[in-house]
Amino acid sequence: MSENVPMQAVLSLEDVTVRRGDVTVLDGISAQFLAGRCTAVAGPSGAGKSTLLRLLDRLEEPSSGQVLLRGRPLPSYDVLEVRRRVGLVQQAPVLLGATVLADLRVGRPNLTPDEAHELLARAGLGDQALDRETNSLSGGEAQRLCLARALAVGPEVLLLDEPTSALDAVAAVSVERVVRALVADGLTAVLVSHDLRQASRMADDVVVLRDGRVEETGPAADSVYLAGAS
Amino acid sequence: MPNWYGVAASVALVAVAFFVVVRERLGLGREVLIASVRAAVQLVAVGGLLLLLFQHTGLPGALLWVTVMILLAGRVAGGRARGLPGATRVATIGIAVGAGATLGLLIVARVIDSSGRVVVPVGGMVVTGAMQGASLTLQRMRDEVASGRPAVEARLALGLDGHRAFDPHLRTSLRNALIPAIDGTKVVGLISLPGATVGLLLAGVSPLTAIRYQVVVMYMLLGGAAVAAVVAGRLGVRLLFDDAHRMRRVG
Repeated sequence: MSENVPMQAVLSLEDVTVRRGDVTVLDGISAQFLAGRCTAVAGPSGAGKSTLLRLLDRLEEPSSGQVLLRGRPLPSYDVLEVRRRVGLVQQAPVLLGATVLADLRVGRPNLTPDEAHELLARAGLGDQALDRETNSLSGGEAQRLCLARALAVGPEVLLLDEPTSALDAVAAVSVERVVRALVADGLTAVLVSHDLRQASRMADDVVVLRDGRVEETGPAADSVYLAGAS
Repeated sequence: MPNWYGVAASVALVAVAFFVVVRERLGLGREVLIASVRAAVQLVAVGGLLLLLFQHTGLPGALLWVTVMILLAGRVAGGRARGLPGATRVATIGIAVGAGATLGLLIVARVIDSSGRVVVPVGGMVVTGAMQGASLTLQRMRDEVASGRPAVEARLALGLDGHRAFDPHLRTSLRNALIPAIDGTKVVGLISLPGATVGLLLAGVSPLTAIRYQVVVMYMLLGGAAVAAVVAGRLGVRLLFDDAHRMRRVG
């Protein structure tokens, strides 16, 4: 991206607070997630990382403040449209169809076999048969199928909630490689990770949370927090 | 038919049960006595009320009685699914629709007589079947909400609405709820001889007449349970999600 062109925020948080009973999970957070970049949300356990991610998909609602998609508050959109535009890949792969094709069709029932093959190729599963039963997939394959399923709906942002924490090292690398390729193709990604090395490898930008507050935000290369990983 | 002397003689059976649980040190002696006295008092009171109802109030009184049964059944079924949003309300509506449709059809089609003497006991059976259908559905739904949350949220994240996101879990819940009624219908007469048949046979009715009644009873139990389960399930799903299609937490 040219340095002269200001980068546009696809998603942003403005002074967002989330309270659950007496507990303040996020406390006045403001952050931006820029188009075509991978932003890591890092920080220790319990810092509020997953809650932040769920806010971006309207699976949670802020107690105060607002979440914006392309500059407009999320509640001003139809919530189902928001979720089609902002995809989510969960921590542990959750497969929803009995076969690879059935799984890909959950969010897009009219997906053709050719389109399915194309999606699988983007997710690094180009050699998979569409009628393969999903319960025979390895952990890494299952997570990449979840990625392909999220892509099937045509999102402009992909939220990744610790997408490799349930995988072995080899499978984790394969998922990382796929996400990097998707971002290189122009997709915007928000990655929650407690793994600082992974965040350093994958992220262009970083938002560091601690105790529900933003401790640091900016390019990953300049991050003091991520520097601790090396 | 036992007279009151015969009923008094059957108390000896309570003594046998009491003797067994005390001898085996099950710690249930008190429970046996309380349950036995309670059953006698409840049934005598109900018998007296039914006598009044049958003699003086006709069909409206019988329907009022059935309504009270529905309300009680709704509380019981809702209590079994405590934590699910609006469980008692949803169960009561499901049972009311299931029992009302089944009983209404039987009366309108003149399959059963519309006298209180028939409507109250038949209504009781229909309400019991509907209660089981609604109760099992809602119980299983509550379990599905807890164990199936990742899958439901994965579907929501793909842009599905709450109803579609929960649909596979609702179908599992309904299957689970209706299997006992279907199995009961399958084996009736072969393995089990239900209470209605036994009662009619004991009352001296011909076996073919008793069986005719039993066929109607089994079909109405199946119909009542199915309608109650589906209505309670569908309404339950509606209350499970908020306006932004987020699944509520169960308590």
